[in-house]
Amino acid sequence: MNAWIVIVGAGLVTFLTRASFIVFADPQKFPHAFRVALAFVPPAVLAAIVLPGLAMPHGAIDLSLANPRLLAGAAAFAVALKVRNPIVSISAGMVALWALQAAAG
Amino acid sequence: MLPNARSEFLAGCRDMSPVLVGTVPFGFVAGVAAVGAGMTPLEGIALSLFAFSGIAQLVVAQLVAAQSPILVTLMAAFIVSLRFLMYSAALSPHVAHLPARWRVPLAYLMTDQGFAMGVHIYSQPGERRLRHWHVLGAGVTLWIVWQASVIAGAALGAQVPAAWSLDFVVTLSFLVLLGPALRTRADLAAAVVAGAVVLLAAGLPYKLSLVVSSLAGIAAGVAAEWMHRR
Repeated sequence: MNAWIVIVGAGLVTFLTRASFIVFADPQKFPHAFRVALAFVPPAVLAAIVLPGLAMPHGAIDLSLANPRLLAGAAAFAVALKVRNPIVSISAGMVALWALQAAAG
Repeated sequence: MLPNARSEFLAGCRDMSPVLVGTVPFGFVAGVAAVGAGMTPLEGIALSLFAFSGIAQLVVAQLVAAQSPILVTLMAAFIVSLRFLMYSAALSPHVAHLPARWRVPLAYLMTDQGFAMGVHIYSQPGERRLRHWHVLGAGVTLWIVWQASVIAGAALGAQVPAAWSLDFVVTLSFLVLLGPALRTRADLAAAVVAGAVVLLAAGLPYKLSLVVSSLAGIAAGVAAEWMHRR
């Protein structure tokens, strides 16, 4: 029973945040400063999602070369800057991680 | 459907398809996580249909597994969804002219990938009148493949060896979006500050580090642009 409250509640929460401006607001009325700030949403949010996955593989910060996810992520990012196709860069990242894990035994 | 609408829709399907290489394992991981947290496969699939957000689904699964109170779980889902407020605000000028029967499904279909795709689609030159069909095609494509992947994960359960590190696909899916988002030095400042703060604030409860670091990154971007202009 509780699971269904969580399921429907999570649905409401995610939909209302998505719908907030698209469905309920008039963008003509946004202040200029707000529009300037919006431009920085993608780099800030994406970096905040990505960094823990690279630098905290087991819950603690590990910025050493012994952290295969950091190196594999750097490889995938380098590929992504050259090749615009996500298939190539995501595959490169996974292959790099598997190779580093295999090398570390 | 007008012929033009059809071609726009199909162009959206085509644009989204390279992204799906990350969507399939990510959805699978989310399905496995729901069942691993003690939800039934049906509940895991329902969560995916209602929330349609990989990060929200993973956070809910983590907190359900930890037997957190309902209110805490929903608050965490809200916090990791705050970025949708920002995405919604950024996309709204492009879709403001559409009726609600368009804006409601487009809002439901908006994800991180969908937002990045929407920004890309609306930045292209040329005729814009039917561009919402393009965005719809991209969103529907991602939705179908995501739900199928979650269903596979929820049905098969944790039969994937941990050594495959399939969860790394979640990070990589967002990493490949980050490169194109770094167009200026101010963008870079926003990313570097957000990335540093999210690690420093990792001890905060309920994934608050994501929100704190996002806001810090946005502030850094605004400050960098302001200093550049002077």
